[in-house]
This record gives sequence, C-alpha cells and structure tokens, in this order.
Amino acid sequence: MYARDIMSPRFHTLSPTNTIAEAVGMFHVASKEEGKRVFGLMVIDESDRLVGMLSLYDILLFVQPKHIHVWSEIEDLEAQVLFGELLDRVKSVQVSDIMTTSVVTVKPQTHVMVIADLMIKRHIRRVPVVEGNALVGIVYISDLFYHLLQKFL
Amino acid sequence: MPVVVRRDILKGLLVEDAMRRQVIRAPQDMYLGQCVNQLIKFKAGALLVGDKTGCPVGVVSKTDIVGAFYGGLPIAQTLAIDIMNGPALTCFPDDELGGALDLMRKNGVHQLFVQGAEPCAVVGTLSYGDVVALLYRYCRACPQGAAGLTGSFDRTQFLTVRDAMKTCAVSRGNNSSLAEAIEELTTHHSGAVLIVDGDGLPSGVISRTDIVLAYHHGASLEAEAQTIATSPVASCDENFLLTEAIRQMFLKDLQRLFAYAKDPAHITGVLSLSDAAQMRSGSCRACMASRIIVSSY
Repeated sequence: MYARDIMSPRFHTLSPTNTIAEAVGMFHVASKEEGKRVFGLMVIDESDRLVGMLSLYDILLFVQPKHIHVWSEIEDLEAQVLFGELLDRVKSVQVSDIMTTSVVTVKPQTHVMVIADLMIKRHIRRVPVVEGNALVGIVYISDLFYHLLQKFL
Repeated sequence: MPVVVRRDILKGLLVEDAMRRQVIRAPQDMYLGQCVNQLIKFKAGALLVGDKTGCPVGVVSKTDIVGAFYGGLPIAQTLAIDIMNGPALTCFPDDELGGALDLMRKNGVHQLFVQGAEPCAVVGTLSYGDVVALLYRYCRACPQGAAGLTGSFDRTQFLTVRDAMKTCAVSRGNNSSLAEAIEELTTHHSGAVLIVDGDGLPSGVISRTDIVLAYHHGASLEAEAQTIATSPVASCDENFLLTEAIRQMFLKDLQRLFAYAKDPAHITGVLSLSDAAQMRSGSCRACMASRIIVSSY
C-alpha cells in the first residue's frame, strides 16, 4: 500500500501572502468542508509549488505573549480583551512570516510504513504528497491509522 | 580594611534564574527570508548562526536584517553568513544577573546567548525582557510591591513610568519614507520611531520588527513609512505606576510604551523593557534605596 492509495487528493491551501486572520478563516472553511477538524494547511505559491505548512500550533505560538510564564501568576486579567488587542496589532503579519518552511514530503509511490515511520519519528500529523514540483495530495495521520487498522478489524 | 558591599536587588540572582531555555538557530547558509521567518515565528531578537557542524559562528539580529534592507541586499539571495556579526556574545548560567546586564549595556545588545559546559553548546538566551519578567514576578510576591496591591495605597512610594522612561522619543512625519525611518532608528540607536501627522500628533509607531516584516513582504525603501506603522500608538500616562506599565507590556507583547503627560496627543517619552531592566529595581522606591554602596570597617 502506497501514499497514492490513502492520500486525500482534495485539499485546501493557503497563499504566502494571506494574513493570519485570513488563514484562521480558511481553517474554519476547510474544517467545515472536510467534515473534520483541520489542524494544518499547505501553503503554495503562484506557481502551485509547495512552499510551507501552517498549523494551528504555529498560529497559537505566534499569538501567545512571549513572557507567557508571567500570566500564570496574574489572576485578574481579561484574556479575551488582551488577545483581541494582540490580534489587532498583528494584522500585518502574513502566512509566509510564521509558516514552517522545511516541510517533509513524500511521493505517491512512498510505502505507507515509511510514511508511518516518518510521522512517528518527526512528530508530524500530515504529509504532503508531491510528484515532481506538483502537489497531488496529503496524507493525514488519521487516514493512515484507520487504513492500517482495517486490516485488524 | 574597608569592605565595599554593593547592595543590589539583583544580588544573588543568576543568569539561570531568568534565562529562556530556547535558542533559535540558523545554519550559516540560510537565506534572509527564512531568517526573518524564524525571528517572527519565535519572536526572537536574534538568531544564533551555526557552521556545518552546528558550532556557533555568529548572530543575525533584527538590526542586521534592517541593515540588509537599507543596503538593498536581495532577501531571497542573501545568506545569514553574509550579514551576521560574530562571535556571539555569551554568558554562563551561573554568572551574576547584574554582570550579564552590564555586558548587554556595554555592548549595546538586547540579548546574550547562554553558554553550556561544552565549547559549542548554547543552552539558552537572556534578554532584557527576561530580566524584567523575573523582577516583576518578585514584585508580585513581595508584600511591599505595587504589583500585588489592590485598593487604595500610597502611590508616592512606588516608581512611575517617568522614573524609568527616556524623555525624548524619536519621531518622523507621516510622509517620510521607510529609508528615512531606518536612518532615524539607526542614528538614535532606537528600537522604534513615532510617526506624527501634520499637526505633530502621534499617528503610529514603526519598530524594527515592522521594518523586518516590510522587507520580507517586498516593500520598497521609498514606500511611505506610514503604510507599515502600527496604529494606534500604545501609550500610558507618565505618572502610571512602573509595575502597571510593565504588566501592560507583557500582556500585550509590547517592547515599549510611549508616555504622555495627561494628554495622549502629546508624547513626552518612551519606556522600553530595556529601560525597565536597567532600573534594576522592583516597583517601589524602597528597592531603589537599597541600591546603595555600603562601606563597613
């Protein structure tokens, strides 16, 4: 069994020039259309070349204040107001500014056990499938898991 | 034999008490575009540049990136090694915090790398913000500190923004170019430029981070500075308690707050985390008074 057998050929993408607010909206749309929570989106340039990945983790890492450890000792703060102000100030930040640029990819003919090994060792939950320069699909850890699990059920 | 004892709020505190155990690294052949990505993503002030074996060879700071922008270097073709400064300025985890602050101030840097036991091991970083965060936490724990007080109390006992701020804020008109804003930052060794409108009223702020982002987004040096300015200007009254201003900076992830006297339209100074760190004090005047040199015989 290979990547091409379990990958989702339909996927949502972001542009490097999307703002973080637009990216949050895209996550919402992707989750709705996929019928499951989408935790990461691929970023492609104008030539449809994969240039990065953006995950919810990247966005959360960026919006949380740097000195977060001080917060744990402050009981009387209005987090919603402060986060609102924080998000308002980062309007100029684009997807390309915080995306992960070193993306692990596989080919359509990569074996699923190799993909499972990659996901375990690199702590990744989704792997883009690339053929030449073209992005052709994505393998989610859940797809891989349930595909392998079916053998035992 | 006289013994001089310097009483200092930081006395006894070590670098390891305040340091951040995360080092953002870049290989020497990393392109500047990726360097900016790492600086922004991890909110770092500087990247530790390593050679092929991972050994540190230098540092790329936001200031270096701003310099590359001003110098017209192409972001997609310039490497970290082309603009880095080296060697990295370091301290050890068991160094005194006061000494580390002196080292930062003497060398005009905002961050030190913390050296581990092995020659190439860097185990953390120390910035002005980390020192202020530690002092703030002490203040909150101190029964005399303003940070933990509620209700009415004698405000004269506590330090205000005016005690720590710099009284001249660097400013430019809103029709200035990005190049002019960079020149202003560099000339005054400032972290941010206040943008003022035709009436001299503050309309925005441009920090080094804003300029680094503009470079990453392909902006021109001739573009109007106003187009990348953060607005509204984050400010507070100069009579604000220092501890409250520090709290605001931490919670809103700000490096600086502009100060005004009664009217927010008239900026009188700027308080940065580095200014607050250099105070080497908590929030009350008792902390300041304890910083005397005592001679005993």
